[in-house]
Amino acid sequence: MNQDIEVLLEKYYDGDTTLEEEKVLKSFFQNENVPAHLQSHAAQFRYYVESAHEQPTITFDERLNLILNPAPEKPIKKLTSWFMRIAAGLALVLVGFGGGALYNKLQNNSVADVAEIDVAPIQEIKTVLAFEHTQSTSASERIQAVNQSYTLSKADQDITQLLVNTLNFDPNVNVRLASCQALLRFKDEQGVTESLIQSLGIQTDPILQITLIETLVAIKEKRAVDQIQQLAKDQQILEAVRTKAQEGAHKLSQETSPSV
Amino acid sequence: MSIVFVIDMDLQAFNQRILPVRGRLFRMAQLFLRSREEAEDAIQDVFLRLWSNRHQLETYQSVEALAVQMTRNICLDRLKSHQKQKTSGEVDLSAFQADAASPYRELEISDNNLLIKRLINELPDQQKLVLHLRDVEEYTFEEIEEVTGMSVNNIRVILSRARQKLRANYVKENDYESGY
Repeated sequence: MNQDIEVLLEKYYDGDTTLEEEKVLKSFFQNENVPAHLQSHAAQFRYYVESAHEQPTITFDERLNLILNPAPEKPIKKLTSWFMRIAAGLALVLVGFGGGALYNKLQNNSVADVAEIDVAPIQEIKTVLAFEHTQSTSASERIQAVNQSYTLSKADQDITQLLVNTLNFDPNVNVRLASCQALLRFKDEQGVTESLIQSLGIQTDPILQITLIETLVAIKEKRAVDQIQQLAKDQQILEAVRTKAQEGAHKLSQETSPSV
Repeated sequence: MSIVFVIDMDLQAFNQRILPVRGRLFRMAQLFLRSREEAEDAIQDVFLRLWSNRHQLETYQSVEALAVQMTRNICLDRLKSHQKQKTSGEVDLSAFQADAASPYRELEISDNNLLIKRLINELPDQQKLVLHLRDVEEYTFEEIEEVTGMSVNNIRVILSRARQKLRANYVKENDYESGY
């Protein structure tokens, strides 16, 4: 056996061994009990056998696989990205439409709400301005209530009557003034101008008298001429009011005369 | 869809023909480059080149021989460009672990393996390559001829020289070491 090995070794170093013979040598030197005089040949054969098992690391295989195998992944990725793009586009459009619709709805609601919301202020105006409550409410509260009538798009008889009452009978002059101005907005409502004319005879406060005269002149209410002239003749009234009344009566009658 | 299918078939064929060789190419690359990372890097390069030329692979008689050639060339190129920043590179000891051996013998074997590895590495490139292809990869002379383009006779001569030189150097190193 050992002699065979020695012969093979000689052939080996001459480059004349076959692959089979080299395998014999390799397996012989894998053995631990190699004779001492052949020991120096062992290392190379052991190295050849060992190093033939060397493989790239698993991570390398994975990396290589990733590089060579992008094909199945790529279309999916592209597909999703395209999907994402389209989805994002659609989402934007939908958000746009949704936003528009929502905005429209809110707008409509706010228009519709006005009619509904009117109910609340009307109630409030009524309770605050109710004659029997004047004792328990402050002037500023009543002014606020009067001013709330400005939020109303349209007043009914109840409201104008309430304002007229406030104009004539509220203990506070400022509240009366406020309702006078508020009533001006509803001058086209039935009975409002009449009440204003009527109020001329009732009011004793100069400021209100002047305001009423100015108001009636401004809306060119000819029916007020008699009442205003009466004020102008009344010697008990403040002179400033009288002059104002004269002036107003003159203006109103002047406007009537050319047309007559 | 059909295009993807063709590529898939291509990849399958490629994998079947080339991937089994990757260990061989890796060892080849290690023969020249000596560090695992460098070797893996180099054969990754080889695979990428093969992959991008996969349509011409049919025209080659042996794709493996081509791959081995490419690996050798790429490694030699890299060696040239890295000559100046010559790093010895870490040697992976775990690769030389012997099964069921005493720690002492294990150490001796890995020492011997490291020595052989170093001595092979010191051989001229041609001898190194032929020795490796024959004794590690167990190529036939015809296969070596295909890779190197040298005649069988020439290969025998080079192989014989490489084996004798390796043995002589090994004995010299061992005597030198045991002398102390």
